[in-house]
Amino acid sequence: MFGFFKNKYDNPALLEEIRQTEEKWFVFMDKLETRLDELCAAAIPELIAVFNQDTDPYKRAHSRMLTGLIGQISQMQQKGMEAKETHIIPFMQASGSLLPDLMSSAGRKYHDRLYRFQMACFDRHHQFEDKVNEGIAALRSAKGNTDLEAVYQRQLREFERIKDSFNCKQCGGKMSIPKMFFIATYIQCPFCQSQNTYTPSTEIQMLFHQARSLAEQRTAHLLQDYENSRPKNPALYQQYLRAMFDEWNKITPDMVAENERFYQRLLKDHSINHY
Amino acid sequence: MSNAEKKNTQSYLERLKQQALSQENYGGAVKYDQANMQVYDCPECAAARAPADGLTVCAYCGFKFMTVELSDGIHIKKEN
Repeated sequence: MFGFFKNKYDNPALLEEIRQTEEKWFVFMDKLETRLDELCAAAIPELIAVFNQDTDPYKRAHSRMLTGLIGQISQMQQKGMEAKETHIIPFMQASGSLLPDLMSSAGRKYHDRLYRFQMACFDRHHQFEDKVNEGIAALRSAKGNTDLEAVYQRQLREFERIKDSFNCKQCGGKMSIPKMFFIATYIQCPFCQSQNTYTPSTEIQMLFHQARSLAEQRTAHLLQDYENSRPKNPALYQQYLRAMFDEWNKITPDMVAENERFYQRLLKDHSINHY
Repeated sequence: MSNAEKKNTQSYLERLKQQALSQENYGGAVKYDQANMQVYDCPECAAARAPADGLTVCAYCGFKFMTVELSDGIHIKKEN
């Protein structure tokens, strides 16, 4: 009634500044994203090459390279975060404080523009963050294939070859290893009853730690069925998990009780809905 | 991305690869041992251990092979 609300707020310089800042932010994000894509695309074949070249059974050279690459990507992520915190958020706050009260219609156009600016910049940043996560996941999955089945079969043949070639260290009597042990085990001499300690070869000991991966390789098709189901079918996951643990138990029968407890826990974890 | 930036990425990856491959693993290279059989005789009287007499004490001279109390494991049970 006093004509207060008829005085529209007008600041074309601010609109221009918002436009320029938004444009700069998009260009910056595009550049960062291009660098990320370039790095990931170039790194994946190199990672696979290092995995295949690495003679260490734990593939530690591959792990070192992967860690270095993830560190590099984290730096890009950090750069994006810092730019948002030093350029976008302070600009939004400073510009917002210049505008008339939000409740008045005088600065409505500017408030709306600033809100659109905020949403556009934040959405672009979220897209970049998604790309970062996709890139890291792609790097993590970039490794050569180790045919664990072939390793396992070779060790089984090796065990069959050596299992009757031991003698008691006390009396020299012939001893037979009754089954494939993965850890050092007492074996009793059938002649003098002495307790001999049988230590399996390093490769067989390693197999014990690869048993789960081998079982997963054997049942990968079942996991794939579950992953491909839409919506995700929990019955298929249960089917995969049971089959995987059955295979695991076949490889390391001594661990059935422990594995069964682990199976129950995984099953329970999977049935909990995480929000 | 310009050619110069592509070159930078390639040289960075090459350096990283060389570093990853040339760095010595903690604990050195893995040693591969063959399967073997050993026996732990009593250091006092040279008698061997037998499960029937217990694994922790020499049945002949009473020497204690181990002072810990056995618990149930995969291959060893507490009654051993």
